[in-house]
Amino acid sequence: MPLVQDILVLFQTTPGLDSDAIGWSRYEASKGIRISDLVDEADPPYLNAMEAMRDGWQVIQMSEVKPRSADDAYEDGPLPYQTVLAKNRELQDEKAKLKK
Amino acid sequence: MAQFVASGYLKFDNMVPKKLCKACLVEMAKKKRGYYTVGTPFEETWPKGTALGDAFRLPKVKGLIDSLVGPRPLYDHHAAHFVGAKKMYGPNTHQDSVIDFRENYFDIQLSLFPADTPDEMGGTFLIPGTHFRNVRTSEITFYQHMRGKVWASCNAGSMYVWNTRVWHGARSNHTRRDRFMYKLRLNPTRPQIRNFDTSDLDDPKIAEILSTNHGWEGNEHRYEMMRRVRLWRFVSGQPNYDFGERFLRRIEYLPPDEGGKGVAVAI
Repeated sequence: MPLVQDILVLFQTTPGLDSDAIGWSRYEASKGIRISDLVDEADPPYLNAMEAMRDGWQVIQMSEVKPRSADDAYEDGPLPYQTVLAKNRELQDEKAKLKK
Repeated sequence: MAQFVASGYLKFDNMVPKKLCKACLVEMAKKKRGYYTVGTPFEETWPKGTALGDAFRLPKVKGLIDSLVGPRPLYDHHAAHFVGAKKMYGPNTHQDSVIDFRENYFDIQLSLFPADTPDEMGGTFLIPGTHFRNVRTSEITFYQHMRGKVWASCNAGSMYVWNTRVWHGARSNHTRRDRFMYKLRLNPTRPQIRNFDTSDLDDPKIAEILSTNHGWEGNEHRYEMMRRVRLWRFVSGQPNYDFGERFLRRIEYLPPDEGGKGVAVAI
């Protein structure tokens, strides 16, 4: 079976690759195109991006420090930083690609 | 109240008697959809002589409503939530309604669980403390997992009350039974100042509660505390309240020669 890209996103409150993950999401195309049942997880799969890198994940995007202005420096919104990691895995079910 | 300000929700066990819960379930099973007139006085709009009408008029529930939104609230909307047996959910973290920047204001939502809702039945999840983080409704499905996530796991008759801006969502129901939850949203009709029991405002535990770290805050923690202190100042009627390092003072203090009062002032 061919290799396809799986994505792991680690959400952080500072941008460094050694920053603790406080949220996380998986987009595992190797398994299908939908996430039909999200199983609760209390802890992230890796403490931080560097631990994921040591397990073979490739960093494909990291955050830069945000500029702050007086107008929005104290406004809360989405989680501020994230690291996107990728790993190629074998396609598990060819039919999953075709499901809508 | 400090816990509501810090975490955005409270849980109450045994709020509605079992017999009344059963009657509520019968009414919910009729699956009547639609709203009453949005923005009208709750007491006039909310049905009388029905199980759901009675459940949300119980003295304990009324006390809860009075403490958080004050007397004579407005009906905003309601929804009977059904999650069928074996109904699965993928990522669906969201913030209700529309993005909302109103300061010194919050609506509440009361969530009644009229049937036993064990973990595997997939009760509503919440990310405590996220109610100051404004986002556009479902864009945060991007956040599949967060540290600090909690979910409703409770006996029949339990009620959660939460700030409508708390990030939340539905979970998969892995059982062979349907899950039921009834949600009611209310608005205040006057500033939400000192509507609750204020006899212990000097309790040092309040600072400890407002400092709660739910697990996801990280470097954002002190900024979250600043938001909580601002809301606490408002609801407790203490415009200069602060604690610990007094982070708000760091952005409020100005010496008299530069237009300040030489002391921390509320902004």
